[in-house]
Amino acid sequence: MTAPTATATRRAPRAGRGTARLRRRAAPYLFVLPFVAIFAAFSVYPLFFTARLSFTDWRGTGAATWVGWDNYTYLLTNPAFWSSLGNSAILWLLIVPVQIVLGILVAVLLNNAKLRLRGLYRVAFIVPFVTPLVAVAQIWVVLFDQRYGAVNAFLGLFGLPDTGWLTTSAWAKPTLALLFLWKTTGFIVIILLSGLQSINASIYEAADLDGASKARQLWNITVPLLRRTIGFAVVLQTLAVFQMFAEPFVVTQGGPYNSTTTAGYYLYNHITRADLGTGAANSFLLVVLVMALSLLFVRLLRAKD
Amino acid sequence: MAANEATRPRVGSHLFLMLLLVAFLFPVGWALLSAFKPAEDIVRAPLAFDPSTFNLDNYTAMFQDVPIGQGFLNTAVVLLFKGACTMFFAPLAALAFAKYQWIGKNLVFGAVLVTLMLPTIVLIIPLLLEMKELGWVNTYQALILPGAVDAFAIFWMRQVISAVPDELLDAARVDGCGEFAIFWRVVVPVIRPGLAGLGVLTVMNIYNDFVWPVVAASNERMATLQVVLSTLAQNITGNRIGADYAAVTGELLAASSVALIPLLVLFILLQRHFINGILAGSVKG
Repeated sequence: MTAPTATATRRAPRAGRGTARLRRRAAPYLFVLPFVAIFAAFSVYPLFFTARLSFTDWRGTGAATWVGWDNYTYLLTNPAFWSSLGNSAILWLLIVPVQIVLGILVAVLLNNAKLRLRGLYRVAFIVPFVTPLVAVAQIWVVLFDQRYGAVNAFLGLFGLPDTGWLTTSAWAKPTLALLFLWKTTGFIVIILLSGLQSINASIYEAADLDGASKARQLWNITVPLLRRTIGFAVVLQTLAVFQMFAEPFVVTQGGPYNSTTTAGYYLYNHITRADLGTGAANSFLLVVLVMALSLLFVRLLRAKD
Repeated sequence: MAANEATRPRVGSHLFLMLLLVAFLFPVGWALLSAFKPAEDIVRAPLAFDPSTFNLDNYTAMFQDVPIGQGFLNTAVVLLFKGACTMFFAPLAALAFAKYQWIGKNLVFGAVLVTLMLPTIVLIIPLLLEMKELGWVNTYQALILPGAVDAFAIFWMRQVISAVPDELLDAARVDGCGEFAIFWRVVVPVIRPGLAGLGVLTVMNIYNDFVWPVVAASNERMATLQVVLSTLAQNITGNRIGADYAAVTGELLAASSVALIPLLVLFILLQRHFINGILAGSVKG
């Protein structure tokens, strides 16, 4: 900034604009700096650390021994690892399709401005979403208790025998799935509602004139037009189901007989055993799987566009 | 605004919605009410409610046995600092993504998306080791700093700020406003409804956070409310003997109720902001 004195008066305003422009250029970097700093310190660094750790045998103390791909081959040949993925996949099947169908039905009904008690329903359906998962998970333990639970007491009124909802391998997964459905369906309804609100009402008027039934309109108009929102919901829930941890942690501790040891819970087991190298390798396998599944769903839904 | 306005819903629709309503409200309602019952009655007759027997015994026992006050205090500290970080820095970062052109923008936004998709549980081992290196295990820093600027908040606020007209920002610049003043005096007042929704969601997420706190702050002095709660259910599943079971169950329901109530009240007071906030911020079909 050593402008000749002769032109200084003419340049002064331009220089002022120049600093303003400079500040405008610099501003976004400063604005994202806090996020980037946190991201670097608590996401990037741990990720690199995990990558290195996954090739070692380390029990949390002492020196780590380099073991190459051993942790990965150990996991990939270990039935327990595959069964944890299988458990998550079964939970996914029990949860996501049910949730999407239920979510669409409820969202379509709630989207009708003439529905009585619409406000009440909207609030009631989102209540589970705002309740703390740990508190609800505990209530689940009490409600579904085989001997003392309210669920068996209710079913007993109809002469049905007591069921070990949380103590038999056959029922533990559906009971956890029910908890997950109860907790998150309201949120999915809200997401689907936001998608519905961007559909032009005149399409339905035209369909009414053509004499198309409501059910056909739902299947032939609403569902195709909601495809991207549905896709978003499916990706969101896939991520959530494969990370599921707090539910089995509080309700079943992964049991009975590991039937609710989800991918996330199995990973946690390595931590409790201080087998950190294997845990790190398991983390990476899970990241790859979750990202691949998300991309697959995004692709599938794009391909139809 | 709504599609499908043509017909009033039939009885079947109402029946379906009512059934769901009962299913959605039952667990919470049952727990809130049962906590007032004598502990033995909760297990002996889980479906019967006799208001004349209602008392606060479960609550008094729970407050004696469970360090729930400490849990609330720890959660409050984390809420205050972590919440403030997200509420301030996430919209700021979102403004950079929505309204500025800069080198590395796509790369950094990629980082936001990766953070969104990365399972928390995946980072837990190295993060825990990092905390050990820093000497932060069982400290507030450990609970507050990782994830202090929430990626979903940035993602959401970017959508909200994109809708703010550029002319508003340019007019402020012509008036000599600095870039930060534009954020603070122009953008923030305009997106206030979105911020209200984000506020509710942020409080909820931090209040309910469990996976990281249970690993990073497991000792009793630092345990957040959710961590304190989680140990109660394990007492039950680990100890299924008659009289004890009833007492523990009563305390557990009292503790769960105490944990539920603040968020329920907050949500019911702010539900319009919250629902409309999500509606405005989520993806459009």
